[in-house]
Amino acid sequence: MNKFLKFFKSLFCSVDNKEPKLLTAYKKESTKSILSSIICIATGVLIGFFIMLILEITSDDIPTGDAVNGFFILLGGPFASKSDVMFILGDMLFQTTPLLLTGLAVAVAFKTGLFNIGAPGQYLMGAMVAIIVALGIPVKSEVAGFFVWLLALICGMIAGALWGAIPGAFKALLGVNEVIVCIMTNWIAANVVSWVFSVNKQFVNGAQSKSGYTIPTIQNGVATPKLGLDQIFKGSYMDIGLFIAIAIAIVIYVILNKTTFGFELRACGHNKHAAKYAGMNEKRNIILSMAIAGALAGCGAALYFLNGKVELYWNTYQTLPADGFNGIPVALLASNNPIGVIFGSLFLRYIEKGGFNLAGYTMFNEYVSDLIIAIIIYFAGFSKLIKDILSGRKSNKKGSMLKKLSSLFKKKGKKQEQDDLNQQNNSQNQVGDREVVE
Amino acid sequence: MQDLANASTQPCNLNKENYVIEMRNITKRFGPLVANDNVTLQLKRGEIHALLGENGAGKSTLMNSLFGIYHPDEGEIYKDGKAVKINNPNDATALGIGMVHQHFKLVEVFSVLDNIILGVENTKLGFLAKKQARKKVLDLSKKYGLNVDPDARVENITVGMQQRTEILKMLYRDNEVLIFDEPTAVLTPQEIDELMQIMKNLAKEGKSILFITHKFNEIMAVADRCTVLRKGKYVGTVNIADTNKESLAAMMVGREVSFSVQKGNSQPGECVLRVQDLCLKQKKEVLKKVSFEVRRGEIVCIAGIDGNGQTELVHAITGLIQPTSGAVYLGGENITNKSIRYRSTHGMSHIPEDRHKHGLVLEYSLEQNMVLQRYFEKEFQNLGFIKFKKVRNYANGLIQQFDVRSSEGVISAAGSLSGGNQQKAIIAREMDKEHDLLVAVQPTRGLDVGAIEYIHTQIVKSRNEGKAVLLVSLELDEVLDLSDRILVMYEGQIVASLDNSTKRSYSELGLYMSGAKRQKQYGGKDDE
Repeated sequence: MNKFLKFFKSLFCSVDNKEPKLLTAYKKESTKSILSSIICIATGVLIGFFIMLILEITSDDIPTGDAVNGFFILLGGPFASKSDVMFILGDMLFQTTPLLLTGLAVAVAFKTGLFNIGAPGQYLMGAMVAIIVALGIPVKSEVAGFFVWLLALICGMIAGALWGAIPGAFKALLGVNEVIVCIMTNWIAANVVSWVFSVNKQFVNGAQSKSGYTIPTIQNGVATPKLGLDQIFKGSYMDIGLFIAIAIAIVIYVILNKTTFGFELRACGHNKHAAKYAGMNEKRNIILSMAIAGALAGCGAALYFLNGKVELYWNTYQTLPADGFNGIPVALLASNNPIGVIFGSLFLRYIEKGGFNLAGYTMFNEYVSDLIIAIIIYFAGFSKLIKDILSGRKSNKKGSMLKKLSSLFKKKGKKQEQDDLNQQNNSQNQVGDREVVE
Repeated sequence: MQDLANASTQPCNLNKENYVIEMRNITKRFGPLVANDNVTLQLKRGEIHALLGENGAGKSTLMNSLFGIYHPDEGEIYKDGKAVKINNPNDATALGIGMVHQHFKLVEVFSVLDNIILGVENTKLGFLAKKQARKKVLDLSKKYGLNVDPDARVENITVGMQQRTEILKMLYRDNEVLIFDEPTAVLTPQEIDELMQIMKNLAKEGKSILFITHKFNEIMAVADRCTVLRKGKYVGTVNIADTNKESLAAMMVGREVSFSVQKGNSQPGECVLRVQDLCLKQKKEVLKKVSFEVRRGEIVCIAGIDGNGQTELVHAITGLIQPTSGAVYLGGENITNKSIRYRSTHGMSHIPEDRHKHGLVLEYSLEQNMVLQRYFEKEFQNLGFIKFKKVRNYANGLIQQFDVRSSEGVISAAGSLSGGNQQKAIIAREMDKEHDLLVAVQPTRGLDVGAIEYIHTQIVKSRNEGKAVLLVSLELDEVLDLSDRILVMYEGQIVASLDNSTKRSYSELGLYMSGAKRQKQYGGKDDE
């Protein structure tokens, strides 16, 4: 008991000349990132709740109590389902796979200072190539099926990589803004996919009710291994794709943070002038970074459509896949951290299922649930701002939140105060220097 | 020393003297930081009063309080003996207080006259009535010796004339208290002389001048009195007639500072850097056939007014831009078309002009910045994986050796360091890297006396160890103190090469810098 009390005390007060443990934890960048994401989500959820309350009060159709009820249904995600929880959960996990990888595609490019809005195009190209390979090579045995699956996956990644490298090359070699090229390549991809499948009818589902869809790859014996997951999540499409995606996220994390290549990419992203000065090839890095991003988006598409049962709606010339764009809020929510992307994409799918249930179990219609999801995603965009406020970067005149917080912990020694002051002095100096430089 | 300084700090005879501006016991806090701590400043009518202090000493805060941009937490401001409250710059202007900012606030595409009357235009039936204004401006410029062309467009006139326009702006508004914020930073020696004369004229006509600076020579030349601030605190006010440079510097820094760099004679060895007929054409010709050599054991300095091609020359040497024609040789090898990485690994160290743009990745930690050019070396990586422990040990060694101070040691973000420590970090990195040639561009820009002293010592040390040093600086004192040989650049060309083993004079350099003179070997008429 005593030990527990002591630990509790050490959380808030300085013991043995160490600063309070909570403060130490708070000072870490990663804590701030996570905290800011949580604040964003909570704000979005709360505002969504208020909108539900207002709708409940103003609308005659919605019975009293539905807002509170609906709020908990929304937060419950798939678990609020009254039947088939495992089925919906499995569906949610399966659908997380492509979102996780497009989220990574955006995050990796962001780390290099590029805004990859071209994930939908890379996703489509990856999907198309993966499906063509999976259906185009006749499979005779189960073993052959696995190798065709692997080949299709790799080809999908390569297609995405090449498609992503195009805006990268334009940016690096010609100085064209990547956003513009990305948007153009998106629509080019949409039309290429429509054209390819409208010409090559052998990949297209002939059934009358299925107009505009491709043949599921299982018909050629090509499907992502399930390893019994489809038995656990009965009725869902769940396969090992999600675990592959998570493994890829971890690999990307290691590459970005532990290798010389990642060191270069991030240096280019933070300050491309300094990267150039330090002898890094910033042009090559821009192209490579976009190619990796494209490969990730392509991989997401390939894993989704190689599931076996999923069919691609190929008549895409007027629409772009939402999973491509939704990678952007996922990356924002995760502060571009690859590990964070895993949780960000899971959360987004979770709340989507909640919205689905909200429309099913209450009088709120499906558009309201879409609206609330949109609000939450919208607030995800503020995570950088919140993080900056937490770090005190937006308010260098008035002192940071951190310092205000630390002044709450009374028991700090003279030395620390001095340190604070020095730090402040430093930041002042820095402001002065900037002025000189300008 | 300290006692001597303190002896004269007593604010003398508060009531007897007639002060035009009095700032009594001003305290201004920003959160826990006290930018001005009980500072008192008294400005007599018709005097030139210098305000001296290091970066971050609180000079600008004090002046911004006087000009109404900040509001002091404690203390009062008196104008002609009456307490006043200055809420914004308009109040200040109404009280006759004017300020020339370090970066001029002029509309580039307007004429000089238009800029002067901007904001206080006289109109007749809604049309500008410029005739009276022109007369007043011409009268003023004649009276104070401020030579301007009222019809020239600001973008076409020299920096000196722009500054005179700013001064006329204050005079046109009948200001009687004039604040000059580091006015000489952008001027040539000749223009500085002119400005000093103008300031003296203004004071003679009864204007009172507050003059923010950290250059001692200028204070000694024009100021009547000087108030010194250190770390936000009031150190003292001294009569210039009773003091000298050294004691002013000691008051400012809080310890003795040596001005002259001890360096001994240079013994130049073999040629390390050779630049031959370097040309660069961007929108116009930025570099025209620049050729020179830098040898081991000498410091060659490129002097000149900002914007005469120095930056581009350095970029061409270090590989940041490709020259249009010509060649750069490093240790006899032609490196004109080699990559930046190649130059960096083959003996070139570069302290860049802009430490935030080129020198550091501010978001990276100090240790990551320390290996910014070396992370790929066998020492720091294995199969592409960075050896974090090695990097940390290496960085720790460097920051100890070069005394780089930061809040959390090597893991602090580079952006959280003070300017001086950022520069020290870059210098540590570049000095420790194996190199034959050190290219240092404005290594002391924006730093205070203590840091400057340290960096100069390091550069001289490097030269004494037999490295070749190419220094580019806009500070004439630095040029004259450090260099063994001076090359003067004017409009993309070298116009003079001067041996500096016996110190040259300001005015001599100034003539070359302003393009008034050039040596015979560089196409001029003078013999030298």
